[in-house]
Amino acid sequence: MASSQKRITKELAEVLGNPPEGIAVNLVDEGNVHNWNIVMDGPEGSPYEGGKFKLLLVLPTDYPFKPPKISFKTRIWHPNVTFDEHGSMCIGILKPEAWKPSSKIMSVLTATQNLLAEPVPDDAVETSAAEKFKNDRPLFNREAREYTRKYAK
Amino acid sequence: MDTPSQPDSLLSRGSHLSDPSQAYTFHTDLDNLSGGTTETALGASISSIHKISTLNLRHTVDLRAITYGGTVDENLVCPICRCPFVDPVLTDCDHVFCRACIDDALSHGELCPVDRLPLSQATIARAPKMVFNQLDALKAKCPCCGNIFARAILENHLEKYCLEAMVRCPGSLSEQGCTQVVKRRLSTQQCLHYPAQCPDCYETLEQIEMESHRQTLCRDRTKLCDYCEVEILRCEEIEHKAECPDVLQICKWAQYGCQHESKRRDLYLHADDCHFKSIGPMAEMLKVEISSLRDDVRNLTETNQLQERRIKFLESGQRASDRPMDLMDLSLASMPEAASTDSLDSGHDYLLSLLETQQSRLSHLSAELSDFQGKNTMMLFNETLPIKNELAELRSTQQVTCMHVRWLMRFRMQENQRRFGVSPGLASTGGPDGGNGFGSDITLSRRLSDSSRDVITKL
Ligand SMILES: [Zn+2]
Ligand SMILES: [Zn+2]
Ligand SMILES: [Zn+2]
Ligand SMILES: [Zn+2]
Ligand SMILES: [Zn+2]
Ligand SMILES: [Zn+2]
Ligand SMILES: [Zn+2]
Repeated sequence: MASSQKRITKELAEVLGNPPEGIAVNLVDEGNVHNWNIVMDGPEGSPYEGGKFKLLLVLPTDYPFKPPKISFKTRIWHPNVTFDEHGSMCIGILKPEAWKPSSKIMSVLTATQNLLAEPVPDDAVETSAAEKFKNDRPLFNREAREYTRKYAK
Repeated sequence: MDTPSQPDSLLSRGSHLSDPSQAYTFHTDLDNLSGGTTETALGASISSIHKISTLNLRHTVDLRAITYGGTVDENLVCPICRCPFVDPVLTDCDHVFCRACIDDALSHGELCPVDRLPLSQATIARAPKMVFNQLDALKAKCPCCGNIFARAILENHLEKYCLEAMVRCPGSLSEQGCTQVVKRRLSTQQCLHYPAQCPDCYETLEQIEMESHRQTLCRDRTKLCDYCEVEILRCEEIEHKAECPDVLQICKWAQYGCQHESKRRDLYLHADDCHFKSIGPMAEMLKVEISSLRDDVRNLTETNQLQERRIKFLESGQRASDRPMDLMDLSLASMPEAASTDSLDSGHDYLLSLLETQQSRLSHLSAELSDFQGKNTMMLFNETLPIKNELAELRSTQQVTCMHVRWLMRFRMQENQRRFGVSPGLASTGGPDGGNGFGSDITLSRRLSDSSRDVITKL
């Protein structure tokens, strides 16, 4: 077993044994620890509240030296997530130039949760969402809530 | 010892381990003997020779795959592999990693995996000894037997002691030169790598597999118990029968005559109905009693024999002492005579009688001694008594004399006063009254009587 697999197995056991509030994890395919299915509850008080968002966590073969990738399988109206079928998410700690091999998947998951509660418009990938978030918060919130009701129920 | 058997020669050779060249020849020697097995084709290091001289194999443990007992201190966990450090190194940014992990990390980029500070092999040093010590003390579970050991001794445990770890088959040391490995648990017998038939399914397999085959693999390994009809392993039938609840068992008072027999589970029902339920315990008690009485009897017989011997001796002593004999003459020399006159058959009896003579002599002597002591005390008392009396007499005489003298003195002084009246010479004895010494007769006379009394008391 490669060293990356050993570490991932350890981290999986850790997350399964003590899952963070509002996050459920299971493997896409039982024989492969590199792809994780994640279901994340929309944080309370955010326009995503009440929604259940499916995410895919992909751990590269040279994990932890290369960062994991997280994408939203459920459409979400959010400045830091592309509003398309890819649902690519941009988050600071997962950027190659900021990734630390010592970071744990658990902290990546909670960071994602925090990003839902508090978008970072300056680091946006979905610029129109970021614009609305910055200039017309009520409109952004209304749209985000609508999309949540539409896609994330 | 011209032609020692093979294991013997191996052992004796094994004792020359200190000489590397000899160790090397020993090594090739064994290669030939055991048919050039791959295990023996290790380097000629001391450890490998030790391994060959016994049946031990070298075990390398993957310290990242084993289970650790309890919770491991987070400070001892590598941030890269998330396991307790293996061969830890310290960076100059004060982070510790496994040697292998940091090598891996540096191959992806020369940055510290924790703080992304620049890092290179040159700035990495072995971690402090303390870290190693803490790691060595970690509780690790043996991957074979599951027992917990300090991590540092785990490999040694597997290599030399673990009953579930693999060792070379004992057949490797004998003529057959078996090249297989077996669990240490099974290595105490000879080679078990021979075909045998499973008594359950009649399949032929290696004897070494038999135990696990009969327990887990055999298709005919189970049967229904003849009595309780519970499914049991055939190889454990005997053990089961010993506790099967449906096996017929006899009453526990059977030896006293109870004919009852019932299933083990029902035997308790009989306990109340058994005709022997009151006799049984009694009989048991009596049995104990009888055996203790027997012991008593045996003890008494022994004492009796002793007493008899003593009597015999005393009788013989009596006969000997009929002749005129002083205490001092009852010497050792007289004893053989006594022994010969009487039938003191064995040497033991003789010694015993000898001892008894000595004892009686001793008691006689001590009686004499105390008698003498008593006499002595008496004599001393008799002699001191008259002296005491005399002393008391002298004391009383002296008192009488004292009284006489006092009376005489007083009488003399009164005489003197009457004869001379006031005497200035006598009055001058008074210190402060000296100036008006002639004042009165009464004072003077009192003073005189005072001083004379002083003189008398001094007497
Ligand atoms: Zn560092
Ligand atoms: Zn490591
Ligand atoms: Zn063990
Ligand atoms: Zn064998
Ligand atoms: Zn069988
Ligand atoms: Zn049974
Ligand atoms: Zn009975």
